[in-house]
Amino acid sequence: MAEFFQHIINGLSVGAIYALIALGYTMVYGVLKLINFAHGDVFMIGAMVGWYVARWTGESRTPSIPGALLVTLAAMAACAILGFVIERLAYRPLLSSPRLSSLITAIGVSFFLEYGGQYVFGPNPRAFNVLPRHLAQHLGPVSLGYVDIVTIIVSVALMLLLQRIVFHTRIGTAMRAVSYNSTVASLMGVNIDLVISFTFVLGSVLAAVAGILYASKYPSVQPLMGLMPGLKAFVAAVLGGIGNVPGAMLGGLVLGLAEQLVSGYLSSSWRDAVAFGILILVLLVRPSGLLGRGEAEKV
Amino acid sequence: MAGLFGGSALTQARRALLSWLPFIAAIPLLWLVQHFWAEQPDWEYAFQNINHIGIAIILAVSLNLVNGLTGQFSIGHAGFMAVGGYVSAVLLMRGPEQDPYRLFFIASIAAGAGAAALAGWLVGKPSLRLRGDYLAIVTLGFGEIIRVIIENTRLFGGAIGLSPIPRYADFTWIWTAAIATILITKRLRDSTHGRAFLSVREDEVAAEAMGVDTTGYKVRAFVISAGMAGVAGALSGSFEGNLSPQSFTFVRSFEVVAMVVLGGMGSITGSTIAAGVLTLLPEYLRALANLRMVIYSVALVVLMLVRPRGLLGTREIWDFLPWRRRKGAPRPPAKAPELSEALIDVRRATIRFGGLTAVCDFSLTVKPRELVALIGPNGAGKTTVFNLLTGVYPPGEGTILVRGRDTRGLAPHDIAHLGLARTFQNIRLFRELTAFDNVRLGCHHLTRESMGASVRKGELAEVEENWITQRSEELLAVMGLLHRRDDLAKNLPYGEQRRLEIARALATDPKALLLDEPAAGTNQKEKSELMQLIRDIRDRFGVAIVLIEHDMKLVMGVSERILVLDHGVTIAQGLPREIQTNPRVIEAYLGEKYAREHARQIAAGRVQP
Repeated sequence: MAEFFQHIINGLSVGAIYALIALGYTMVYGVLKLINFAHGDVFMIGAMVGWYVARWTGESRTPSIPGALLVTLAAMAACAILGFVIERLAYRPLLSSPRLSSLITAIGVSFFLEYGGQYVFGPNPRAFNVLPRHLAQHLGPVSLGYVDIVTIIVSVALMLLLQRIVFHTRIGTAMRAVSYNSTVASLMGVNIDLVISFTFVLGSVLAAVAGILYASKYPSVQPLMGLMPGLKAFVAAVLGGIGNVPGAMLGGLVLGLAEQLVSGYLSSSWRDAVAFGILILVLLVRPSGLLGRGEAEKV
Repeated sequence: MAGLFGGSALTQARRALLSWLPFIAAIPLLWLVQHFWAEQPDWEYAFQNINHIGIAIILAVSLNLVNGLTGQFSIGHAGFMAVGGYVSAVLLMRGPEQDPYRLFFIASIAAGAGAAALAGWLVGKPSLRLRGDYLAIVTLGFGEIIRVIIENTRLFGGAIGLSPIPRYADFTWIWTAAIATILITKRLRDSTHGRAFLSVREDEVAAEAMGVDTTGYKVRAFVISAGMAGVAGALSGSFEGNLSPQSFTFVRSFEVVAMVVLGGMGSITGSTIAAGVLTLLPEYLRALANLRMVIYSVALVVLMLVRPRGLLGTREIWDFLPWRRRKGAPRPPAKAPELSEALIDVRRATIRFGGLTAVCDFSLTVKPRELVALIGPNGAGKTTVFNLLTGVYPPGEGTILVRGRDTRGLAPHDIAHLGLARTFQNIRLFRELTAFDNVRLGCHHLTRESMGASVRKGELAEVEENWITQRSEELLAVMGLLHRRDDLAKNLPYGEQRRLEIARALATDPKALLLDEPAAGTNQKEKSELMQLIRDIRDRFGVAIVLIEHDMKLVMGVSERILVLDHGVTIAQGLPREIQTNPRVIEAYLGEKYAREHARQIAAGRVQP
């Protein structure tokens, strides 16, 4: 039983990170109907910027909570700018083109960030020490890693904040309006360009936090670290119903838990296959995801 | 049985062979290049790239069949490539030491292709009912699952991979396969099956209404494409001499998708060129060492920004050459004897959407050559009746018989086969196809040729193709659209789009034609022309017509019988004269108060009923 709870804790912590990344996918999809394949790499850039800032401020030698906050804020700022620039340069010119074209530029941007990262940062992983190291807390036989606790608390706080932004602010309302029907929203006076930029910035900021948390958990950074978590997060977004904010959170948690349970009780080499297997099964039963609403086409 | 061995079968085989002759003749040429050129040490590196291009062409052109022509979005192509590669590699490594005539090699490629096609069927069958991005992620997921399975299977060498694989694949083999892939895809695309693929991409609902089995065609495209990817995998493994699961991650699939989109969705020559460009680009940048992939990715983004619809758009290189061919005698359409009395027989059909009863207790019989109009205020359920008749929605209660056959459980394309054709209130043409192709698609379900015949260009394929051309041009002429033959449907003016939809519906050789507001948005003159046209269609094609229309002059002028719906309930039925004076109809249209007023005025003799 202790083992089971241990897997649950680990699963929640990984799942929370997936959820943070998935939110970026799902929000961008909501307003643009675009799979932003570069999002996983924005997550990687967040961790990488964190690594550089930590080295510069000396944080990596003497980790402290205020220092960690500073590093995270710097990563968030860098990713906010990155997200804004990516959207302006790579996606906006293709707004009126077929949807698949912007998918290819997304893949191009993703390659650019990965290979650019390899060029600047070098291909090898580097140790990431930003959070102060505390010993794991023990709850009976279950050990709670410090990073896991921080991850879960930070993620929950951010998700609550996001929920607030999306459902209780003017810009959030505008986002939902654009997501529902961007033409009508623009006719009602919503500044679509602003909403799209805001969505990218918001998603990228969340990805930056996720990047810092993920890099602290496995304490290392490398240029391809965004590949798999990015893909998993996208799976999580689709699992929950793409375009649906609570769905992305649920999808992330479900995926994280499922993965941990599979690697715990079966074998970690089958972990990836099971993640996709669950996705496929869910989609075959509920084609629009767990919380997604199917749209019937009017004939 | 005599016919089978007689002249016609022989001619057919000869014609098929003839049409493939240039290709067969090219194989020795390829062999000569291989023998005298590719084996020179100086040229080894160049031919390595050329062969990589060949494999990329197979992958890109085959994926184009799914992503470009059929409009389904698959990003799991690397998975099928892996299946083909591994199955053939396992066989080759256990095969005979010597394989002088490469028979075993051919068999192993075929086995790889077959296994990949089977995998394609297993993946496609359940997941192709998903749309767009959901389908994309499922194919990506399957691709990754295939890779994980390979990594965990000892037979396939696990994470290390397989080596050494006998290196039989060389320039000749790879380019023979690449050219064959291009030719097969091109011939499929130009056949009636190719138009069916395109119709799925353009508008699935309209495609079903024209009698195209959309699910069937999606699965077929998927299976053929997976099989071709399997060939690419088999050749790739035998060319490199080794296989490892790391070369089949989703990044590989992305590269192929990039080739298809960059080349232009649906353009076969576009995919071919893009496969070359994107394979060579990183090679030419090799001098830049670490920066080369950075530049490659920037180049990919820039190319896409400069040409958002791909290098060639949906066109082909040869579209720039004016080149057409028309010949052969038309085959008269086979007319089935008409037996049944009622073409359409709806008995007490009801359908509810949630709490709303859209159509309640609806009954209708339509006899051959009858002209029936269905009228009623907005939201009365008229279009829903059409959707019930054509199988878009199954009725909650009641039965619908079309030519005596209960349509419950039939898909819209089955009902189109029974002889119902329709137009749509919100025009649903295949917008990116020409007017001619739109009409030719209507003929699709009348064709009998197999996909194999289309690829072989057997006699049946050719005769049918000629017949379709003739029939489609006739229909365009009848509808006064022949001058628009090669214009894209989306570029036609509104009135012509409506007429093109009628032409497309007539092309399916229907027994009954359902017209949903054909006069909407047309002016008085066009309306009176339409009135004549509807009568002409009935007389010329002998079809029954059910008409939904708001224009009372048109309805009263053309229909023999009228049925009035209001809030899903049939409130009146009868001859035009009876309907005009029916108080319930007037009430439904004008409201209770004005209806009473109207009745008073009639009673006072102040207005004509």
